Amino acid sequence: MTVAAGIGYALVALGPSLSLFVSVISRKPFLILTVLSSTLLWLVSLIILSGLWRPFLPLKANVWWPYALLVVTSVCFQEGLRFLFWKVYKRLEDVLDSFADRISRPRLFLTDKLQIALDYSSQLHAAGGLGHGVAHAVFFCLSLLTPAFGPATFYVERCSKVPFFLISAIIGLAFVTIHTFSMVIAFEGYAKGNRVDQVIVPVIHLAAGMLTLVNFASEGCVIGVPLLYLVASLTLVHCGKMVWQRLLETRNQSSASG
Amino acid sequence: MDSSSILDSLGVEIIGVMAPVSICMFLVVLLTYSLSVTSDPQIRTAANLIYIENPSDSATVKLEGSLANAIVFVVLVAAVTFILVLLFYYNFTNFLKHYMRFSAFFVLGTMGGAIFLSIIQHFSIPVDSITCFILLFNFTILGTLSVFAGGIPIVLRQCYMVVMGIVVAAWFTKLPEWTTWFILVALALYDLVAVLAPGGPLKLLVELASSRDEELPAMVYEARPTVSSGNQGRNHGSSLRALVGGGGGGGGGGVSDSGSVELQAVRNHDATQLGMGNSHNLDYNAVAVRDIDNVDGNGNGNRDVVERSPVVGNPREGHFASAISSEHSTAVGTRGNIEDRDTVIDEEMSPLVELMGWGDNREEPRGLEELDNYVDSSNRGIKLGLGDFIFYSVLVGRAAMYDLMTVYACYLAIISGLGCTLILLSVYNRALPALPISIMLGVVFYFLTRLLMEPFVVGMTTNLMMF
Repeated sequence: MTVAAGIGYALVALGPSLSLFVSVISRKPFLILTVLSSTLLWLVSLIILSGLWRPFLPLKANVWWPYALLVVTSVCFQEGLRFLFWKVYKRLEDVLDSFADRISRPRLFLTDKLQIALDYSSQLHAAGGLGHGVAHAVFFCLSLLTPAFGPATFYVERCSKVPFFLISAIIGLAFVTIHTFSMVIAFEGYAKGNRVDQVIVPVIHLAAGMLTLVNFASEGCVIGVPLLYLVASLTLVHCGKMVWQRLLETRNQSSASG
Repeated sequence: MDSSSILDSLGVEIIGVMAPVSICMFLVVLLTYSLSVTSDPQIRTAANLIYIENPSDSATVKLEGSLANAIVFVVLVAAVTFILVLLFYYNFTNFLKHYMRFSAFFVLGTMGGAIFLSIIQHFSIPVDSITCFILLFNFTILGTLSVFAGGIPIVLRQCYMVVMGIVVAAWFTKLPEWTTWFILVALALYDLVAVLAPGGPLKLLVELASSRDEELPAMVYEARPTVSSGNQGRNHGSSLRALVGGGGGGGGGGVSDSGSVELQAVRNHDATQLGMGNSHNLDYNAVAVRDIDNVDGNGNGNRDVVERSPVVGNPREGHFASAISSEHSTAVGTRGNIEDRDTVIDEEMSPLVELMGWGDNREEPRGLEELDNYVDSSNRGIKLGLGDFIFYSVLVGRAAMYDLMTVYACYLAIISGLGCTLILLSVYNRALPALPISIMLGVVFYFLTRLLMEPFVVGMTTNLMMF
C-alpha cells in the first residue's frame, strides 16, 4: 500500500509532465537533450544558491522574513539564469539553422526551413521549461519521497490536514506548470522583443514563490495553495493564448504564401 | 514531413547511448534500494584485497585503506588489460573470444543466478528448483551466445549487455563506501591515461584492432543507429530503432530488477573470481568503432551479390570498419567474401553519404562514436564499454544508499558528462575515455548535493516553501 502511495505522490507531481514527455518529447531526441540540459542548469542553479545560503542555514523556524529574502534572491538568480539560457539557446538556434541548411540544402526550400523554426521553437521552449519544472519537482518533492514508501506518513504542523508528501506534490505540480509555460512565454517575449512578456515571467515566478510564504502561517496552505493554482492557471491561459495567436498567424502566412 | 527530419534525427546517436545507460542505472538503483535492507557480510574481492573497511575505523585509516584498495585494483586492471593487449597482439583472438564468452557465462550464471534467487526469495515466487535451473540455464546460454555470435538480433545483444552491466554493478555496490569512491576516481584517472596517453593499453588495443580490421575482443555496447542504408528514411528508422533498443533494454533489465536483490548467495570464493571477471569487463571499455551499416549489411548482402564480383579484386579498401562485421558473423574461412560484400556496400553508400552531409564530422549526431570511444567517420555506431555502464551504475547505486536527491543529481551529472564526451568525440574523432568526465562530475555533484543542497532543500520544503 505504501508503495502505491509513494508512486501516487510522484505521479501527482510529475504525471502531467510525464505524459507530455512521452507523447511529445520522447519522440524527438533533440528535445530530450534539451530537457536534460535545462534540468541540469536548474540543478546547478540550485546548488549555487544553496552554496550561497549554506552559512545561514538552518533558518529560524519562526521568523518568516529570512525565508522571504531567500525566495526573492533565488527567484532573481534563476530569472537571470533564464536570460542566460536564452542567449545560449539563441546561439544554438543559429547553429541548428546552419546545420539544417547544410544537410538539407538539396531538398528543402527556404519555406520549409521557416516552417521548422515555427513548428519546433514552441516545442523547444516547452522542453526547456519542462526541464526546469521537472527539476523543481524532482528536487523539491520527489527527493523527499523516500520515506513515503515506508510505513507511515508525515504531517507538518503548519498544514496539519494534509500529509506533507501530498501537499508538496500538489505544490510541485503547480510549479511544474508555471516553469514549463513561463519558459515558453519568456522565450517568445525575448524573440519578439515584447516587453510585457519579458517582465511578466519574473513577476509570475516571484508571485508564486511569495505565495508559498503564505504556508508559513498556521494552516496557511488552505489559502496559499489555491492562490498558487490561480497563478499557475493564469500562466497556462496566457501561454495558451500566445501560442494560439501564433498558430493563427502561421496559418495565415502559409495560406497567403500558398 | 521532410522538414521535421532534422530535429527528429538530431541527437539520435546520443540518445541511443544514453537510453541504455539510464536504464542500467535505474535498475541498479532499484536493486540497491531493495538490497539495502539486507545486511550483507563484507565481500572480499579484487577491489578490496588490501583493506576491509570497518565502519568504526577512523577517517585516516579508512582513507589510507581505501586508497590502497583503489591502487591495487587499478594496477590489477591495468595488468589484465596489458595481458589482453598482448594476447590480442599475438593473435590469440579466438582464445580471447572464448574467454569472453566464458566470463559472460560465468557472470550471468552465478551472479545473475544469485540475483534471481534472491528475487525469488524476496517475492516468494513459487518456482521449483528444476524449472528455475532450466530457465536460468537457457537465459545464460542465450546471453553467452549473444556476446560474439552473429545472427543474433542486435536488440538482444544490447539487452544482455545491459543485464550484465546491471548484474556486475549491483555486485559492486556492495563495496564499502570509501573504497567505492576511491576506486571510481582511480578508475576514471586510469581510463584517462589508458585511452589517451601514448602507450596506454586501451589506446594500443583500439589502434591494433583498427589497424587489423578486427573487432575488439571486448564487451562493448553498440548503439546501432539505425540507419538503413540509404536515404532519408534512415533518419526515422534510426530514431525508431533507438527507441526500440531502449525499450528492449528495459525489458531485459526488467527481469533482473523486479527483485532487487542481493548477491548474498555468492560465496567469497566465487566473488573473488567474479571480481576478476569484472576487471576484465572493465577493460572492455575500450571501444572499437563499428560500421553500423553492417547491420543492414546482411540484408543488403543479397542484393549486392551480383555486384560483388567486380570488386573482389580489392577487398581491403580501407573501409576497415566494414570488415568487422564479418568477424562475428562468420568463420574465418569465409571472411573474404563477406568483406568484399561489405566493401561493396560501403562503396555504394558513400555517394549517398556525402549527399546527406554525413561525411561531416562536426554534426554530432551523425558522427559516430564510441566510447571509450573511437570514432571513425566512415562508420557510425557509438560504442560504449561495458565497464562504463558498470561504473556509472555503481556511482548511482552508491548515491542511492544516501538519498534520492543524490541519485538525481548524480544521474544528471553522469548523463551530461556522457553527453560532453560524445560531443568531444565528434570533435576529436578518436577513441575517448568515457569515465573521466562523467565520474568526476558525478562525484562532485554527489558531495555538493550532500553537503550543500540537502540542508537547503529540506529546510525549504519542510516549511512548504518553494520557488
